[in-house]
Amino acid sequence: MDAARLLPRLDTIYLLAPGVRPRAFPRSPRAAELPIALLEAVRALPTTTPLQAADRTLAAALASALGRRVALESPAGWREDLRSLPSVTGENERAWILGRARSDLEAALRAPGELLASLAREEERIERTVGREERAAEAFVAVPGTSLSAHAEAWQRARALLAVEHAALRARLDAEASRVAPNLSALVGGRTAARLIAAAGGLPPLARMPGARLQLLGARRRPSAGRGPRHGLLYLADRAEEVPADRRGAFARSVAALAVIAARADAWTHADLSGRLVARRDARVRALRGGRR
Amino acid sequence: MRRPAPYQPGAESPRLWRRLRTDREEFWTEAVGPPPSVHGERWTSFDGRALRAFEPPRSKLAAALAAGWTAPLPRVGERWLYLGAASGTTASHVADLVGPAGRVYAVERSLRPFARLLKLAERWPNLLPILADAREPDQYADRVPVVEGIYADVAQPGQAELAEANAQRYLDPTAGALLLALKTSSLGRAASRTAHLHSALSALEGTVRLEEPIRLDPFYRSHYLVGGRAGTPGARPAAPSARRRDGPPRPSFERRRRFRRSDRRD
Repeated sequence: MDAARLLPRLDTIYLLAPGVRPRAFPRSPRAAELPIALLEAVRALPTTTPLQAADRTLAAALASALGRRVALESPAGWREDLRSLPSVTGENERAWILGRARSDLEAALRAPGELLASLAREEERIERTVGREERAAEAFVAVPGTSLSAHAEAWQRARALLAVEHAALRARLDAEASRVAPNLSALVGGRTAARLIAAAGGLPPLARMPGARLQLLGARRRPSAGRGPRHGLLYLADRAEEVPADRRGAFARSVAALAVIAARADAWTHADLSGRLVARRDARVRALRGGRR
Repeated sequence: MRRPAPYQPGAESPRLWRRLRTDREEFWTEAVGPPPSVHGERWTSFDGRALRAFEPPRSKLAAALAAGWTAPLPRVGERWLYLGAASGTTASHVADLVGPAGRVYAVERSLRPFARLLKLAERWPNLLPILADAREPDQYADRVPVVEGIYADVAQPGQAELAEANAQRYLDPTAGALLLALKTSSLGRAASRTAHLHSALSALEGTVRLEEPIRLDPFYRSHYLVGGRAGTPGARPAAPSARRRDGPPRPSFERRRRFRRSDRRD
């Protein structure tokens, strides 16, 4: 077995010896984890070949697996040897790195916060598309008896399909949001919660934010000395549209203060605060509506 | 009839082609992968080769070429470590320059640009994507060998130190090249941009023999390209002049505007 051809696939091995090419590695294995093929390759070497490993754990693992002395190797010598490494096995290396990249990316995207952020981005994109198509349909005149009317029918069907998919996506997003961030979704609604988490780059970053930052999260304008934005994504929050337009800034400020409490509970303590937070939000809505109940 | 201006292979790399136009110099790289275009760049064929336009508004390395940067640059057959590859715009051109015999190890941390980088790498045979944080070089020690060059384009507060740490870990200490696209506005407003530049130079001068840094105006405001080759560390180059070095004429305002388009494809 040719050890040099093996090594690009091993992400843990670091061994220096003539005929065995070194690779750097992130973590040292225990003796039981050493790849059998590698041990065989090393056993095939003459017993006079010096063996060196980069750290104590690996040296011990190799020594116990091989029943031989394995010396510790200094980083300086390690670099020298890496440099003399001939250009590493072409297609093997490429296939290995691409496969690793694919699995790393999938694992990272599978994390609950990332999944929710991806869903939120998709929902926003589909929502924009639906709106754009509806506006285009309003201005479209299908002259009867021409090929335009045939197009109009097909287009109508496509829009209906898209609307169905959008509704399904909303439902999936709400379910995912109330699983990942139950308090926050109860307070502002699943879709807004998901968009806030996506904008912050995850639930922990959102939970670390001060309320004043959350209030403006997703705002398109920059705060300035004069009149700046009063709210960002929170205009989408549940019950925001019940508040008079000139009081939405005050509403956003109050909801932002409650939302950071909710996000912190969701991220860290996992307590269920939703009833109390929703009650405080509703009291605030009543106050802001004033006489207009 | 006017004949089109000829393409000429650059002195630095035979895979970098230059073409003199009346108002500017164009740069083209010889494509390693198949069409279609990677980031909306023009393609042309010349003498049986597929050339891709390497345009200063899209890439800091091209902006440096336009500003008169000559060396060091990626050479044919070299292995390069590319930090902060994003979706692979410049990384694909670096891969073009090193050619099919070379390798570009492209490190990127954010997931969505990385997804595009991965798609690109599937058809760009010498581009190897790595999902990792360039601030922690040990994360990818199992995939990256010692390399002949490092290109760092990570707009981060510690960008020079990050490049230096990666160079210590991976750069060939005898003749490796280090290039850093320095964004001084990422380093805060507490110091002037020349002060930031000088602190970056002093972070790197122990590792490589630095060339004179070059400003990337007008395409990238308050950016510099800093770099040099390893070997015996020499004296720090003289302070950069405030004026641009002699080079091709400054593009007109219209031309600069034309490239500044939003590049969202969703």
